Amino acid sequence: METFLDLAGVSWRHQVRDFSTWKPWAKRDGAGVYSIDLEIKSGVILGLIGPNGAGKSTLMRAICGLYDCEGFSKTCEQRRAEIGYMPEQVRWEGRITVTQALQSIALMRNETIEVSSVINTVGLSSKSDQILDNLSQGMRQRLSLACALLGNPKLLVMDEPLNGLDPLAQRAFYNLLKDLANKGVAVVISSHQVADLESLVDEIALLHQGQLLIEGSLSDVRKQLDLEENSGIVEMICSATGIDPDDISLELSRDTMLPFKSLGGEEE
Amino acid sequence: MNALSLGIHIMKERLTAGRMMVIWPLLAMFILFSSWGLSDPKVNLPSSIIIDSAYDVMFVSTAFIIFSATLGAVLISFDGVSRDRLSGVLEVKLSQPINRSIFAKALLFGHWSAIFLPVMILNSIGLFVIWYRLGDLPSLEEFFIHTLGTALLLLWYTSIQLLASSWAKDLGSSIAVGLGVWMIFTLLWLVLTTVVAGLSGVGVDDMSSKDYVRIDAIMDLFSPNGVYHHLLEMPLDDVDRGMSPLYISIAAILWSIIPVHLFTRRIERLHP
Repeated sequence: METFLDLAGVSWRHQVRDFSTWKPWAKRDGAGVYSIDLEIKSGVILGLIGPNGAGKSTLMRAICGLYDCEGFSKTCEQRRAEIGYMPEQVRWEGRITVTQALQSIALMRNETIEVSSVINTVGLSSKSDQILDNLSQGMRQRLSLACALLGNPKLLVMDEPLNGLDPLAQRAFYNLLKDLANKGVAVVISSHQVADLESLVDEIALLHQGQLLIEGSLSDVRKQLDLEENSGIVEMICSATGIDPDDISLELSRDTMLPFKSLGGEEE
Repeated sequence: MNALSLGIHIMKERLTAGRMMVIWPLLAMFILFSSWGLSDPKVNLPSSIIIDSAYDVMFVSTAFIIFSATLGAVLISFDGVSRDRLSGVLEVKLSQPINRSIFAKALLFGHWSAIFLPVMILNSIGLFVIWYRLGDLPSLEEFFIHTLGTALLLLWYTSIQLLASSWAKDLGSSIAVGLGVWMIFTLLWLVLTTVVAGLSGVGVDDMSSKDYVRIDAIMDLFSPNGVYHHLLEMPLDDVDRGMSPLYISIAAILWSIIPVHLFTRRIERLHP
């Protein structure tokens, strides 16, 4: 498979307000991602997995050129031109129609785009003249997907794309992604619906506390983690992060982002 | 892809927004009623202002434009960036390959034209009202200066408001900053001028004294409304506050450049 994008030592930390000083403008380094090495290949669906606060969305935004960090094999401008991005939970609102909203996004790309074909692809043709305020959450998700598909991107980056979609739409969505991957489009997807994700992705990358712990095909990852053939993504997360499956709590993420355990190495 | 076509798209979006149902009548009442009322030959105005030409009516009615149109600019632009940021739409927009400075200019043009267009339509109707009541029309030069001044005033307020909107993390702080700036320049500037005059040793008991008028003229250079009035006073022969047109032009240019530049830089570095 041809490599579409190489990530070598990509790091980004959010600047958060520092309440420990009297200066109201003072900021400090917050959570983020740290030294990510990853290869994104054309035609491969890569699943980003990890607990809440692991850095999945941050990494996706960095890939899409929303953060000016270094370590990519392509510039920010190149990436923005070639990548279609679907953020998590976009609340489209206003008194403009679906078509007008898509046209305004299409104007921001460097090419002439026929939005009606994209509207058909995501199944919004019957709603194309509806104003955004009248759309349901599922329809809004489809509109976000349509935005990501504008301009025939070579890489699709999708953050929790299944939120709000009904089961039929989810299945159609999977089929669409598989079709695109067969046509050579690289896909990076994160989802908490891990059972469905397992059947969709070709490779996974496991993030925890801003670090990439392990990546590869599902069978490779199982082998590396010494897991059984039928073990799922939850077992992989637990094994790679050192969390006891019988002792899973909601307190998984920390703001410090420092590596808590390197795979196969000593605890830091 | 250019700032103009995207700006026109944003303008259409803003012109069809629900808030225009409030802004249109507000502007119509202020601009048309002031044109009608002030062009009455029997009108009795304070400060011995004499109205004997169409431009005099237009000049005096700018007090109402300052009140309504600038508030309209604030109401249209206060969520120009912050709403998209909160809803996640800004993430979609910033991930597109459009150059960020072009995007900033499109935002500015779209929001500015969404308030300038209604104001100009109503100003044009106001001209017919003045002509009907007074039988006089302004010269082309007077009309040009009035239009240019109004366009610049709305650009200044729009850019300041969009800058505030890009800083704010919620709609409340965005409108608080916008209305705060509007109140300072529209309602509190006179108070600030009298304070500065008092601290400079100029008596504030006679606001028509030469010294006070001089301080007032200088202070006006630091306010968008004041620069607007300086610009509109240029064609008037009977108004002279002793301010050189060079200083007025420099102030107008700086008011046009600085907020626009700050907003463009802000958009270039913005993280959704």
